Amino acid sequence: MSDAPIVDFKAVSKTFVLPGAWPWSPKREVHAVRDVSFQVAPGEVLALVGQSGSGKTTVSRCVLGLESITSGEIVLEGQRWDTLSERERRTKRVKYQYVPQDALSALDPQQTSLEHVVESLTVLGGVSREEAHKRGAEMLESLGLGHRLNALPREMSGGEQRRVTLARVFVLQPSLVVADEPTSGLDPDRQESVLEDLIQNLPKGAGCILVTHDMAQARAWCHRALVMLEGRVVEELRFPDGQPTHPYSRMLFDPWGEHDLAQSTAI
Amino acid sequence: MSVVLVVNDLTIRTPERRLVEGVSFEVHQGRVTAIVGHSGSGKSLSARASMGVLDVDPGLERGSLLYPALSGEKDWFEGVRGQGMGAQRRLARDTARYRGSYVTYSPQSASSALNPGRSIGQQLAIAIGRRETPPADLGGAIRDVLKEVGLPPRAAYAVPSELSGGMAQRAAVAIAIAPQPKVLIADEPETGLDPVLRRVVTELMLEVAANHGVALMLITHNMDTVRRIADDVVRIGPHASGTEDV
Repeated sequence: MSDAPIVDFKAVSKTFVLPGAWPWSPKREVHAVRDVSFQVAPGEVLALVGQSGSGKTTVSRCVLGLESITSGEIVLEGQRWDTLSERERRTKRVKYQYVPQDALSALDPQQTSLEHVVESLTVLGGVSREEAHKRGAEMLESLGLGHRLNALPREMSGGEQRRVTLARVFVLQPSLVVADEPTSGLDPDRQESVLEDLIQNLPKGAGCILVTHDMAQARAWCHRALVMLEGRVVEELRFPDGQPTHPYSRMLFDPWGEHDLAQSTAI
Repeated sequence: MSVVLVVNDLTIRTPERRLVEGVSFEVHQGRVTAIVGHSGSGKSLSARASMGVLDVDPGLERGSLLYPALSGEKDWFEGVRGQGMGAQRRLARDTARYRGSYVTYSPQSASSALNPGRSIGQQLAIAIGRRETPPADLGGAIRDVLKEVGLPPRAAYAVPSELSGGMAQRAAVAIAIAPQPKVLIADEPETGLDPVLRRVVTELMLEVAANHGVALMLITHNMDTVRRIADDVVRIGPHASGTEDV
């Protein structure tokens, strides 16, 4: 296996130009990501943590090419990614997969769990329907959904819906999985089991970027965390031993401690 | 502290199964009541039922709902139990004027609490207009509410898209508290917020609820928050619930 990073994010910035509140208002620039650099090694799970609105989701979308970047460079598995056309990316995208925050809105209300996975395999993976049915059922069974192959999203619990989104991703054997708050809105027990399914089913050598607000999750499941504040990375922590030193990181990891909350500028 | 909301033996069902069974709790003025339970256990359904909103068919099978500080011993579910959607729609109409005045509801995300097309001041004016005794100086009342939640007076002229995430959360709290309700239901106010903002929003809700003697009914998954701020805990699950002191 190559030791080249799965993701090499080099000095990336992203600025959104938004319309004003009214048609006659001036346009506004929002600097969502400012000069962010990091790498994800094969087999590594990297957490992106930080303030709401600090640019975590924008970074994760830029990695996958779902947002263009304003400056910088993105290299995935040794190949420049940000300069590829959408047509060129489409054929490679199967290796770089996304687990959304809201599973229910990501699933087709008219498709069963098996149909979701089969569609992934046939449309993105180029697998025959028969083979896709076999592999899809195996994948769902391995995630404990063997008895829910024909269930529609609304007939499943929140945890089961998340597992279908995971099955749809893992069946493609991706080399990078970006999960944007995949446990948001679940109760603590289910959060734990969904994360366990996510991390333990990662294909061998695949990298993972986990966007989360839960510092205990980051510490328990990730090798490293980047702490983001106002579009910048203010600190990198290596787990299990790394301790936050930046004032905002300390607040984030111990929110109920004695802090000067005025330092968190979004408040 | 006086009781402002009583739910007794609440049981709601679809044709196939019971979604909520035997849920009972009381909400007291000036106290924080946490409603906890697994995803899908019926927390939000119970909260909506306690506002007189039942949108499940056939819906209410058993239970009673009292607003003691408003209507004494009147059971709002009288004539609704087992009567299906028609009776439930009537209940929703009868209780409509008390939603947003006696009971206010703050949904999971500020973005769904705020009207994107209206300024914060316009939205506050509507909320303040629901008070039992609307103030003579509406502008002054808007400024007072904004000040209470830590927003500057100019926030009244902003539409939600012009506010930061933290400011939008504060505006949502302002709108929930502006009608001077007896009960404020906060439905997982921490969802999607970072830990620091979570603390700030929680402390803000506690502070404004304490200042106005409002009963705060907090629906949450976060047991750390429950341990820190709840006076009473109601566990909703497969078995009947009851109120526990913390």
